[in-house]
Amino acid sequence: MVDLFHILSMGASSLDAQTGAAATNANNLENVDTPGYARQMARLEPSLPSELVGNTYVGNGATLGQVTQARDRFVEAQLPVAFGNAASSDATAKVLGAVSVLDPQGSGGLSSALSGFYSAFSALSQNASDPSLRQAAVAAAGALALSFQQTRGSLESARSGADQSVAGDVSEVNSLASQVASLNGQIRAASASGAQPNDLLDARQKAIDQLAQLTGATVVPTSEGDASLFLPGGAALVSSLQAATLSAVPDPSNNGHLALNLSLGGTTSSVSPGGELGGLLSARDGGLGSAVSGLDTLAWDLAGAINTVHQAGVDLDGNAGQALFTVSSAAGAAAQIAVNPAIVGDTDLLATRTTGGTGDASNVLALLATSSTPLSGGQDASATLAQITSAFGAAAQSASAASEADDAIKTQLVTMRQSTSSVSTDDELVEMQKTQQAYAAIAKVISTTDSMLDTLVQIT
Amino acid sequence: MRVTDTMFYDRAEVDGAAARSRLDQATATASSGLRVVQPGDDPGAAGALVSEGVNMQRIGAIATAAGRAADEVTAASDALGQIQTSLARASEIAVQLSSSQYGASERAGGAAEVQALISTILSDANTKVGDRYIFGGTADSAQPFDGLALAADGTVDASTGTYRGAADTRQVEIAPGVAQDASLRADVALRGVGGGVDVIATLTSLANALSANNAAGVAATVGQLSQGVSQVSTAQSQAGTCLDTLDTAVSANQAASSDAQKRIANLGDADEIQSASDLALAQHALDTSLTAISQSFKFSLVDKL
Repeated sequence: MVDLFHILSMGASSLDAQTGAAATNANNLENVDTPGYARQMARLEPSLPSELVGNTYVGNGATLGQVTQARDRFVEAQLPVAFGNAASSDATAKVLGAVSVLDPQGSGGLSSALSGFYSAFSALSQNASDPSLRQAAVAAAGALALSFQQTRGSLESARSGADQSVAGDVSEVNSLASQVASLNGQIRAASASGAQPNDLLDARQKAIDQLAQLTGATVVPTSEGDASLFLPGGAALVSSLQAATLSAVPDPSNNGHLALNLSLGGTTSSVSPGGELGGLLSARDGGLGSAVSGLDTLAWDLAGAINTVHQAGVDLDGNAGQALFTVSSAAGAAAQIAVNPAIVGDTDLLATRTTGGTGDASNVLALLATSSTPLSGGQDASATLAQITSAFGAAAQSASAASEADDAIKTQLVTMRQSTSSVSTDDELVEMQKTQQAYAAIAKVISTTDSMLDTLVQIT
Repeated sequence: MRVTDTMFYDRAEVDGAAARSRLDQATATASSGLRVVQPGDDPGAAGALVSEGVNMQRIGAIATAAGRAADEVTAASDALGQIQTSLARASEIAVQLSSSQYGASERAGGAAEVQALISTILSDANTKVGDRYIFGGTADSAQPFDGLALAADGTVDASTGTYRGAADTRQVEIAPGVAQDASLRADVALRGVGGGVDVIATLTSLANALSANNAAGVAATVGQLSQGVSQVSTAQSQAGTCLDTLDTAVSANQAASSDAQKRIANLGDADEIQSASDLALAQHALDTSLTAISQSFKFSLVDKL
C-alpha cells in the first residue's frame, strides 16, 4: 500500500538524484578547459523495486544510477597510433627543418668552398709561380677542408641535439609508464565497488596519450580493467601493474649516439620506438646520418683524387709532391680533413708542375681536372654534393609532408574525441536548466504531499 | 556533430596559427625573393642550385684566368711588334750600309745603332708582366735572354742574347678540361730553334760586320734579317691567334657564367608577381580568420540565460 509518507520519502530520494545530476553538470562546467577531462553523465534510474499496490506496480521515484564518462571507443582505439605517427613525423620534420648548413643559397657553405677551391687553382693555373696565387690556392684548400669540418660538425651537432631530446624523452616516458602502472592499480581498487573512477580514468588516459606521442605505444585493455602498453615491435612498456624502464645508452657502432634499451622483469632488450622518440631517431640516423656519411665519402674520395694528382707533380723546389690533404680514414673523413701543414707553412711545396719550369702549371691543370673526375659514387664532386643536398632535401620534404598529413589525421580524430568527450557549456547549461526544472517539480510534489497530509490531519 | 567549447577554441587557435604561418611564409618569400631557401623547399632544385653555383664560380674563375693570360699575350704581341720595328730598322741599316758608297765611319755609326737595337730587342724579349717574364716559357722567374755583351774590342760577344728560358709554352684553362697555349716560343721566334733564322746571331753578325767595316759581311745579313722580320711577324700572328682564342674563351665563359646565373635565378628565385599575390592572399586570409574567430566568440548561452 502506498501512503503519503512514502511519497515524501520518494521525493527526498528523487531530489538527491537531481542534486547528483546538477553536481555532475557543475563538475563538467568547472572542468570545461581541463586538458584530458572527459565529460561525465549522470544516469538517473527509476528506484527499484516498484511497489505492488493491489494488482499493479507503483514506481518509487528516481535514483542516481552511475556517473559515466563520454568516450567513443572507436575513436579512442585509433588515437594512440595517430598520436604516435603525428609526433614521429613532426619530430623528424622539426629536426631536419632546423638544419641550415646545407641550404643551397646560403653564404659560405660547402658548395662555395668547393667552387672557391677550384677557382683559386684556376687562377693559379695562369701563373703557377706567383706567390700570392699559391698562397690563395693553399688558403682555398684550407677553406674547403674547414668547410667540410664545419658542415659535418653542424650536422653532427643536430644529431647530438636529437640525442639530447631523446634523453629528455626517456625520463618522461619512464615517469609516465610508472604513472600508468600505478593508476592501473588504483583504478582496479576503485572499481571494486562497481563504480567508475572517472577522474582516475582521465588521469590514466592523459598519461597514455602522452606515452603514445612519445613512443607510439598502443593500448591493450585487460579483463581487470588495466591498460597495458606495447611499443611498436611488441615490447611491453606497461604490463598491467608493472612498468618497464627505458634507458638511453651510447652506441659505439653509431659514433656514440644513443640507442634505446627496455628493461622489464630482469630482461633488457634493444627497442625501436615510434612516436617522438622514433621521429628523433629517424631524423638522426636517416636524413642527418645519410648526409654525414655522404660528406665523409665525398671528403675521402675528393682528398684521395686530389692527393693522387698532387703527389704526381713536382713542387717549386723540384721535389715530388706531397699529399695536399691529410685524412686518415674514410670514416669521419669530413671531420678530419685538413691541408698538409708542411704545405701551409711553405707554399713552394704546392706541386704545380710536372717537367717544366716554375711557371709550368700542367699539374695545376691536372688538379683542376679532378673537378670532373667521377668519384666512388660515379659522379664528380659538385654532382655528389648536389646529390647529398637533394637527398637531404627529399628527406626533409618527405618528413614535412608526412607531418602535415599525420597532423591532419590526428586533428580530425582529436576533433571527433572532443565532439564526444569534451564539455559544451551550452549543453551543460541546458542540462542544468532541465535539472532545475525537475528539482522544482519534485519540490512541488513534496509540497503538495505535505498539503495532502495537512488535509488528512484536519479530517482526523 | 556536437560542437564543444574546447573544439571551438582549438579551432580558433589552429586556424589562426595556420593563417599566420601562411602569412609568415608568404612574407619570407616576398621579402627574400627566394623560392628555395632550404633543401626541403624543392630538393631537385636545391641540388641543381649547388651544381650550378659551383659551375658558375668555376667558369667565372676560368674567364678571369683567361683574361689575365690574354693580357700577357697582348703584352707579348706588343713586344714582338716593337722587336719587329727594331728588326726592320736593322734591316734598313744593313741594306743601306752594305753599299760601297759608305765608309768606315758611317759603318761604325751603324754598328753603334745596331748594338742599341740588339739591346732594345733583348729588353723587349725580357718583358715582364708583374713579376713574370713572359717570353721564358715555363721558366718565367728569371729573364730568358742574356743582355748585350761586348767584347774587349767593342764588338758584340757571341754570348749576347743567350736563351735561358724553357723550350716550352705555358698553358691556361679556357674551359673545364680544355687547355690553351698562353705564351709564345721566344727561342723559336728570336733564336731560330727548330730551323728558323737566329735573329740575335744575325744582328750580332751585322753589328760586328759594321764594326769591321765589312760591307760584304753586312750584305750577307740582309736576307736573314728579312727572314727574321717575317719570323717575328709570324710569332706576332700566332700571338694574335692565341689572343683571339683567349678573348673568345673569356667571352664564352662570361656568357656561360651569365647563363648559369640565370638558371640559378630560375631555380631559386621567387616569381615577384606570384609572391606579391600570395602575400596579399595570405594577409586577407589572416584578416578573415581573425574576424571569424572574434565574431564567433560573441555567441554563448551564458550570455543569454
